Amino acid sequence: MAALREVSRSARSLPLSQIRHSYQLCQRRCAATQAAEAVLQDLETDSTLGAPELSPEEKKIFRPWKRAADRKYTLPSSRYQYHPPKYNRGPLHPIQSPPSSDPIARDFVPGPFNLPRLRQTYQSTVASDLMTLAYNHKPPGESHEHEQHEETTDRLRGWDGSSPYHKNRQKRAPRGSPVLKLVERDITFRNIPEIKEITIATFVPEAIKEQDYLLVARTMLLAITGTTPEITKTKSNIAQWGLKEGERAGVKTTIYGNAAYEFLDRCIHIVFPRIKDWKGIKGTTGDGSGNLAWGFQPSEMAIFPEIEVNYAMYPSKMLPGCRVFVKTTATSDRQARLLLQALGIPFYGELRN
Amino acid sequence: MSASSRGGRALSSLLRSQHTRQTSSVPRRVCIQCANTTTTTTTTTLLQSSRRAYSATATAAAEPSSSSSPIPPPPVTTSSPSASQQSQDVRYRIKSGIILTRPPLLTRQLTPFESAFFLYQKRLNERLTAPFRKEFYFKQDTATDLDWKIKLKERHGVPAKDIGRYNPRGRMGWNDEVMVGSTTSDHELGVVQKLLHDAEARVSEDGEEIVDEADRVKPEPPQPRTTEADAKNDTRRLDRKLDQTLYLVVKRKGAAQKTADGKGGDEDVWTFPAGDVPTHEALHETAARVLAESAGVNMNTWIVGRVPVAHYIQSPPPTTTTTTTQDSSSSSSGRGEKVFFLKGRIMAGQADLAGNKHGYTDFKWLTKDELKDTLEEDYYRSVRNMFELR
Repeated sequence: MAALREVSRSARSLPLSQIRHSYQLCQRRCAATQAAEAVLQDLETDSTLGAPELSPEEKKIFRPWKRAADRKYTLPSSRYQYHPPKYNRGPLHPIQSPPSSDPIARDFVPGPFNLPRLRQTYQSTVASDLMTLAYNHKPPGESHEHEQHEETTDRLRGWDGSSPYHKNRQKRAPRGSPVLKLVERDITFRNIPEIKEITIATFVPEAIKEQDYLLVARTMLLAITGTTPEITKTKSNIAQWGLKEGERAGVKTTIYGNAAYEFLDRCIHIVFPRIKDWKGIKGTTGDGSGNLAWGFQPSEMAIFPEIEVNYAMYPSKMLPGCRVFVKTTATSDRQARLLLQALGIPFYGELRN
Repeated sequence: MSASSRGGRALSSLLRSQHTRQTSSVPRRVCIQCANTTTTTTTTTLLQSSRRAYSATATAAAEPSSSSSPIPPPPVTTSSPSASQQSQDVRYRIKSGIILTRPPLLTRQLTPFESAFFLYQKRLNERLTAPFRKEFYFKQDTATDLDWKIKLKERHGVPAKDIGRYNPRGRMGWNDEVMVGSTTSDHELGVVQKLLHDAEARVSEDGEEIVDEADRVKPEPPQPRTTEADAKNDTRRLDRKLDQTLYLVVKRKGAAQKTADGKGGDEDVWTFPAGDVPTHEALHETAARVLAESAGVNMNTWIVGRVPVAHYIQSPPPTTTTTTTQDSSSSSSGRGEKVFFLKGRIMAGQADLAGNKHGYTDFKWLTKDELKDTLEEDYYRSVRNMFELR
């Protein structure tokens, strides 16, 4: 209500219709466009790409490494270097970290390094096919927002009001499950399922006795994904298996975007075809919200080209298998399966949604 | 949002609520911008403008209706045969066509900017990641180790094969940009050639260095991106333009009927294969049948889904007596066409027009850009939205 307060006392005494008129006038003043024009006048119209090409002599003269080497006096290196702050002290602090896209930032991650093959296939072929396949016609001119709204809200179980104590009582979760399942959304032009990330995890219970198992597992995941894996701990006590809670007995890592597509590409075109008597992925996989998973046996890990290239360096008996979780933007398992099938992964057996 | 603008919003909403109290028929759910711009206009236009959808305007543009109602009627999708609509529908023949496509087989060529950017990112990565551990990949004094040493020396000690001469850790680590005209970042000239040269074995199996270049076993270079069909520009072949989508078009001999504006005539026209939909067939069944009848059965194809991806409406030619009258439908020859296109994919095989039932004389596999020159303009405009980006 700041604007209302800014309006002077005399203006407030005016009849409402006049205020409305003056309000519209201020809205149409277009101060922003005037300012933009002033800024645009300062811009250079010539693009750097359109600059005339250098002559061979000019190119020869321009040797930055030579100039650096010939420099007699240099300032101490600390004068050239800027180190971003170690800690973020909040948005109001005078010292701010550079954005993560800046190569000097502490959280900078280089990339992308290429345009993955599988991603290009997805963009050029798979996405439009999925959209056509799953098209659900809704006659234009009708509003369907209401239906969607009904579907997604009020999914918790209410109380019937038979007791006075039901008033203001919190609603309950659905029967049989403490959490609400995702509602499947239709595949539309702006909701085509896509690969989001892939998590690769191994469980190495032998590592409780001998830590070297953990080292091998870490090296294996590092070689396959190119990221530094993190070590996981056991969650529960199971005496028969010799497990105690909180022991370091596993390794996992997550890859996103291009790296995830590259990994999936290697699985589909190199690893799966070379597994003996491989039927496909079980049709019952999936968590009900568009994330599918499968596993690799220890013997199958040797097929990965990154491991195969120096397989002799790994102690073969200590090489663990792993589980692969593919997370997609699909909201149901059948949509996720449609995506992975289109990318080239076969499923077998009973299909569960 | 600044505090003052928030105040402005509140003020405008206050004014609007005053307004609604006076005229109670204004809907509550109107966005702020619309409400601001239309406070002076009447409430009826506000209602209309808020309900006017893009699709409604599009259909209005496609079918110029003779009636002058301000809001066009919604397009009928389910069969609701009222008398007036039936008489209108008879003026059109429903046809089903197929747009058979061959998806791109190759990745696309990178732009110079992209390849330069990727090289820059690779060099940044070299600066930030742990150095390469040779001992983990090559056992000491084996043939592969010797081979590696020779190649590393040739690369001036840079373990990475595709980043050119760049030492990320030395004094010159900052110097990570390539000069003008360098081919280091170029995929075909720089990276592929480097990798091919690197793949040659430089040491024999007994650990002897192969000094003579003629004795080295050269790896097979990758196939070129362009093929013989590209060189000849043979538009009938499927192995051309490997990094783009190809679409099957057929030549229809001497279109019998003229279009609404009198052109068309006897010239040959390039179209997608299409045929009339009989009453007992669905669109996708007709599309499959038309494809088999026109382009032969020696193709492994897949029709994507059962819904059309594009449609083309050819309005009926103007009748000789008066301008568009409702009862001119009795003459079946002067009917227009509504063609619905389904999308198909070809996996193997080739089109063969010999003995086709639809009178097609020639076929071509064309890319999106070539289609623009080949198809008629309004035909192209009605289908262009289904084309892939490449």
